[in-house]
This record gives sequence, C-alpha cells and structure tokens, in this order.
Amino acid sequence: MMLSRSAERLYWLARYIERTENTAKLVSVHMNLLMDLPKGVEMGWQQLIRINGAEAVNKFYEGNKLANERNITRFLLTDASYPGSLFSSLSAARENIRTTRELLPDEAWQQVNEMYLFAKNNLETIANRRSRVLFLNEILKGCQRFTGLLSGYMSHHHPYRFIRLGRNLERADMTSRILDLASLLLSESRSDELRQYETILWMNILTALNALLMYRQHMRSRIEGDDVLNFLLLDNNLPRSISCCLLEISDCINELPNHDSLPEKLLELEAYVQAIDTHQTTQPQLRGILDDLQNKLGELHKQIADNWFLRMAVE
Amino acid sequence: MKSIWENYKTDIAYDELMFSEFQPRPISHSLCQYLNSLKKNDIDKRKMAAELAIMEMGITFTVYSDEGNIDRAWPFDIIPRIIDAKEWRIIEKGLKQRLTALNCFISDVYDQQHFIKEGKIPSETINTSKNFRKECIGMKPSHNVWANICGTDLVRDKDGIMYVLEDNLRVPSGVSYMLENRVITKRVFPELLQDINILPIDDYPTQLQDMLSSIAPLPNNKPRIVVLTPGIYNSAYFEHAYLAQQIGAQLVEGSDLVVKQDDCVYMRTIEGLEKVDVIYRRIDDDFLDPEVFRKDSSLGVPGLMRAWKAGNVALANAPGAGVADDKVVYAYVPEMIRYYLNEEPILPNVPTYLCSNKEDLDYVLEHLAELVVKPANESGGYGMLVGPHSTAKAVEAFRKVIQADPRNYIGQPTLSISTAPTLCKGKLEPRHIDLRPFILQGENTFVTAGGLTRVALKKGSLVVNSSQGGGSKDTWIINREEK
Repeated sequence: MMLSRSAERLYWLARYIERTENTAKLVSVHMNLLMDLPKGVEMGWQQLIRINGAEAVNKFYEGNKLANERNITRFLLTDASYPGSLFSSLSAARENIRTTRELLPDEAWQQVNEMYLFAKNNLETIANRRSRVLFLNEILKGCQRFTGLLSGYMSHHHPYRFIRLGRNLERADMTSRILDLASLLLSESRSDELRQYETILWMNILTALNALLMYRQHMRSRIEGDDVLNFLLLDNNLPRSISCCLLEISDCINELPNHDSLPEKLLELEAYVQAIDTHQTTQPQLRGILDDLQNKLGELHKQIADNWFLRMAVE
Repeated sequence: MKSIWENYKTDIAYDELMFSEFQPRPISHSLCQYLNSLKKNDIDKRKMAAELAIMEMGITFTVYSDEGNIDRAWPFDIIPRIIDAKEWRIIEKGLKQRLTALNCFISDVYDQQHFIKEGKIPSETINTSKNFRKECIGMKPSHNVWANICGTDLVRDKDGIMYVLEDNLRVPSGVSYMLENRVITKRVFPELLQDINILPIDDYPTQLQDMLSSIAPLPNNKPRIVVLTPGIYNSAYFEHAYLAQQIGAQLVEGSDLVVKQDDCVYMRTIEGLEKVDVIYRRIDDDFLDPEVFRKDSSLGVPGLMRAWKAGNVALANAPGAGVADDKVVYAYVPEMIRYYLNEEPILPNVPTYLCSNKEDLDYVLEHLAELVVKPANESGGYGMLVGPHSTAKAVEAFRKVIQADPRNYIGQPTLSISTAPTLCKGKLEPRHIDLRPFILQGENTFVTAGGLTRVALKKGSLVVNSSQGGGSKDTWIINREEK
C-alpha cells in the first residue's frame, strides 16, 4: 500500500540525490581534466552549463559576465537561485525526504539532513580548488552512503522501486548529458595540439561515470572515442550506461501495479538505444541523437507521473 | 575553579531538584554527584553534543515569521527534571481519573446532558463554547471515548502541590519531543542512565498503535491507520511524521483522502483507492470537513464527518471533544469527577475565576495586576495576560478586552511555578518549568511515564511554550525503592 503522493516524493527524492551526486562528480572530473591539459588551454567551463540546457545558460548570464571557473563552479554548486545547482538539488531532496520520513529508515533522513547542513555551512569553501575538492568528496560520500543504506536497510518493495525509478531516470539523463559534453569538447578542440589529448578527455568522461576500470576490463584495449560511446550507451552491465538504466527502469515498472502500457513503451526505447550505431555517426549526428534521447526520457517521466502520481478522479 | 552551582537560588519558587545551593533533594542526589564529577568544559561538551544530535536528527519545530516559515532546532536543556516514582504513581492515577471523567462528560454533552440538566454547569457555558459541535449530538464513538489522546499540563506551586493547569483534548502536541529528549539524553549521559533506575518511555508508540487499533469501526486485527496532517508548514509537522513512522501508519494530507458515495474514507494510492479505518487527525475540527465546518478549508476532507457519523471510520480525537478543552469548562472538572465517578479528585485544579460570573468578573477586574487571565479557547500561550509581569498600560488594555467578551476569559492566581536547574552559559540557574504527561484512552487507559517537561529559558519568565521562547528537558521518573 502506498500513497500516490509518497510515490511522487520518493521518486523526486531519488532524482535530486542522484543529481546532487552527478553534479559533484561532473565538476570534480572537469577540474581534474583541466589539470591534465596544457597550460593556457581553457577548455570549456561554459560547456558544463551548456549541457544543462538553454535555460541554464540564460540563467547563468543573468547573474554573471564571465564564464570562468570561479563563476561557473559557484553557479553549478552553490547558487540557490538556480534550481539545477548542487545546493538546490540537495535542498529539494531534503524537502522531499522531510515529507516521506515515515517510509524510510531513520538513517536515511539523518544522512540527507547531515549532508544538507554540511553543504549549507561550507558553501563558501568552494571558492578555492583545494577546499572545493574536499567539499565535493564529502558530498559524493554522503550520496553513496544514502544509496547504500537504502539498499541495505530498506525492504525492496514499492517505495524502494520508486526510488530506483527516479534514480535511474536521472542517471540516464545525466549520462546522456555527459556524452553531450564529450562531443561538445571534441568539436571545439580540433587543433592538432588538442587532438593528442583526446584520450585524456575520454578517460575523464569514463571517470565521471565511474566507468574507467570497468571499461578497461571490458575492452582490454586502448581508449577509443567510439568504443567509449558504445560502452556508455549500450553496455547492459555498467550501472551508469543508458542501456543499463533503462533495464533497471523496466524492471521496476514491471513490478509496480497498474503499469498499463509502460512496459511496451520501454521496450521501444530500449530498441531505439540499441539501434544507435556510434561507428557510423558524425559528431553533429551524435548530438542530435543525444538530444532526441533526452526528449524521450522526458516523455518517459511524464508517463510515469501520469500513471502513478496524478490524483485519480473520484470514481 | 568555580562550581556550576555557584549562587544557585532556591528561594524563587519550589525547586524540583535542590533544597539549597549545596543540598540536593534525595531524588537528585545521584545526578548532582555525577554533575559535580564532571569538569566544566565537559558539561559544555555534552551540551554541544546534544545540540549536534538535535541538528542531525532534524528535531525541529516551525515558527511563522515575516521571513516565511523557519524550521528551528528544538531548544533542549541537558539537565533532566526528576520526579519520584512514588509521587508519580499518584499523579498517574489522578490523570486516569481525570480523563475518564472528562470522557464521561463529553459523552453526556452529546447525549442526554444530565450534567447540565442537573444544574452542575450552566447550559450557556456549553452552548456558547466555540468547541461545542452540535453536529456531534447523538454520536457514540467506540468505548464512549471522545478524547483518545490528551496532554494535560501540570505545574507545581510553592506549596509543593501539583496542580492541573489545563487539559489539551483537541490535538495536543509534544509527545515526539518527549521521546526524542530521552534518545538525546541516552547519547549525552550514557554512564548516568546506566546507574539510575529510570522508568522507560519508549513504549508510547506501541501504546498509541494499540489504542488506535482498539477504536477501529469493525473488529479487525490490522485496521488501516493514517495520521492526518495539515502539512509541512504546520508547526508540529515533525511530530506528525515522527509518529506516523513510529506506528507504521501512513502520513496523509487532506488531499490524499476521499470520501465516496458509500460514505467510506479512501486514500489515493499507486494501486487505486484503499479504505481507511482509523484516522489520527492532527487538524482542528474547524478545518476537518469543508462540507460541515469551515467551507474555505483546503486542509480537510469533504465528507469526512459523513463517514464518521455513519460509523465507517474512527477519528481520534473525535470531533467535538474540544468542548471539554475550554478553560471555562475546566473549572467544572472536579465536579465532573464527583458526579460521574463518585470519587474525590486526586489532582487539584488551580482556583479559577470565571468572568462569565458577575462576581468573579468583578474580582478579576479588581485584581487584574495580580492574576493570570487567559482566553477560554486559545492554546500556545497566545492572548493571555500575566498581571504581575505586565505594564500598567497592558493591564488596562486587557481590561477592555475582557469586558468586551467576559464569557471568553478566566482568571487564576499567578502561581509561583516550580523551577529546576537549567544550563545557562555554563552555569546552572533556576528556570520555571511545567509538565505535560500524555494520556491515551481507548479500550484501556495509559499514561506516559513522566511526560514533556517544558522550561521557560528566559530568566524569570513563566511562559514555557516553544513558540514563545521555551525549551524542554528530559523527564525522569525514578524508582528509589528498587535501587
């Protein structure tokens, strides 16, 4: 037995925690990437905002003139007026868990609350790189503790399924955006000098999705852009690949009551992803495909909301 | 090194723990010994540990202000308040007696009204009570109990006697803080709790669950219980969520529930509509059902009263129970105990002057500067006058307020309510306290071992409400004989 309202809040709780973690990871990997690149190459801080959509770009330039590291990290991490920032996501996660505490183990609330208080008290520390790294590590650990304790302490029943649903939808969305970032960075780094750093770029993309080790074990060859794309889109075992996220979503949906036509919709989406041929696509085509994928994920969210969250009329 | 007890004053009022600066009462002997064994910065560390625990556990209450709703950490004093189990057993008996009589009275008010007909209380007092709901006449809730959950406020005067200050029979709050206070104390003073025999309090959720199950409309091993909250912006939302979690109930808002044509209550779930048997409602009568009470309420459930009257759902507390939670009706409780139970009241009332009586009104107006005057139907310490602590101007302003609506005011002597040592800037100072035990009544009656001790943190203040700068303490009922 589960309230529709609770289902909705747990779903969003999971999305926001996932978004918090992904944002932390993304910024920390990007910092890392910059340190590997030759001095004087300012490789695309602004792209971190571009992958979050046109609204994010407009919002950023409302409050900032320069797209430099300082402004962009502040915008992405601590700007409470930007709903996509790490701090906004974490605050939203806390609001959602505050209203669903009764469904979750006590530790879950305490974990999110502690993390929120930590972030709130340390917003200033992100100004310099060293303390920013510490801040991001703390957040990443906190998100993992949260995910781990739910997995270990909570029955894997309907409430948990809505958490998994939210987490994987958000994760798939973020993976597609990180792939988008890769193609953006590549398209602007056509100079020969930068070309030699392509491998480093792809390594960082894999790291952003915690996939570097798994990629090496899986491919057992040097890192190639096409292979990385393939792996991150289509591998059925890598937790952050699009395909794996869709399998998780499909798994949850099939076990939830009243799933209507959602399982069929999901099969279509899985087939669509599997049909992407990364070896045959050009850079712009890839960007089109990723855009399309993000739209399809957006539609999937709408269908989930219609199915379980919207208030049913009185019969 | 200066003692934390230096200049501790026990002449302000009855002090719960100390005879004098140097001499603890027998019940607080072990505690004082322990506190004296700690270094000063040790005590500060414990206090910080408690504050950290409160932040992390997210124990909060919401305060409304101009800047929006603020979630404030629960102010907690780490020094516990102690009551001897011998005394407590008498108080417990007195509380059960009191609530039993109050429930007899509410049943009577909505039925034959013998108490009124026999002239024990003027009928206007009932008819003009804001919380008398004529819609409830003729209803018979399970076990004839209307007030299932009651929080009764007790204070000790300088004579050492515990008086009943008021009975909260509508939606009393605070029990979650009582429970959490003990959790924090266990964290902060683990050594101490090992050595002292303190009655446990953590069975409250089980008792609450049993009581709620016992009032289900149909005999049912597993009735569907929900906690109905006005939502996140209510000052007691933390408690609603906490209790729902503790008793394994769904926490619902009005919009999660729907009453269908069959006059049954359902909740909207991911599997469709599911029937609800028992509602522990934390919404005032006024907002419960826009079809019957306030039309503009968006917090309630249209048709809820219909379902309740049809006997398809139990509401705790029953609508209309607040008729006995009127400070004028309060004055008649000792008489109710004699009338319905044929017993003498175990716990005394505070002497009360009813401004609806001409004589009493004159007395109140003449002695305004010495008395406490309260509105009959407010809670949270709002809208009251504490004569000795008010300016002459405020007293005069209040005089007009009373004269405009005498039915709605009562006067009481300003009690010298007891104090207990409270940690203030690294030193112990006496602060005024009260006690709110919680009483559950369904098939059986249960009283918490102790209750929520609230403390007025401001020096000299008598107002203990959290919304007005009050804090709280853990409350220990200590069994000395068994040591």
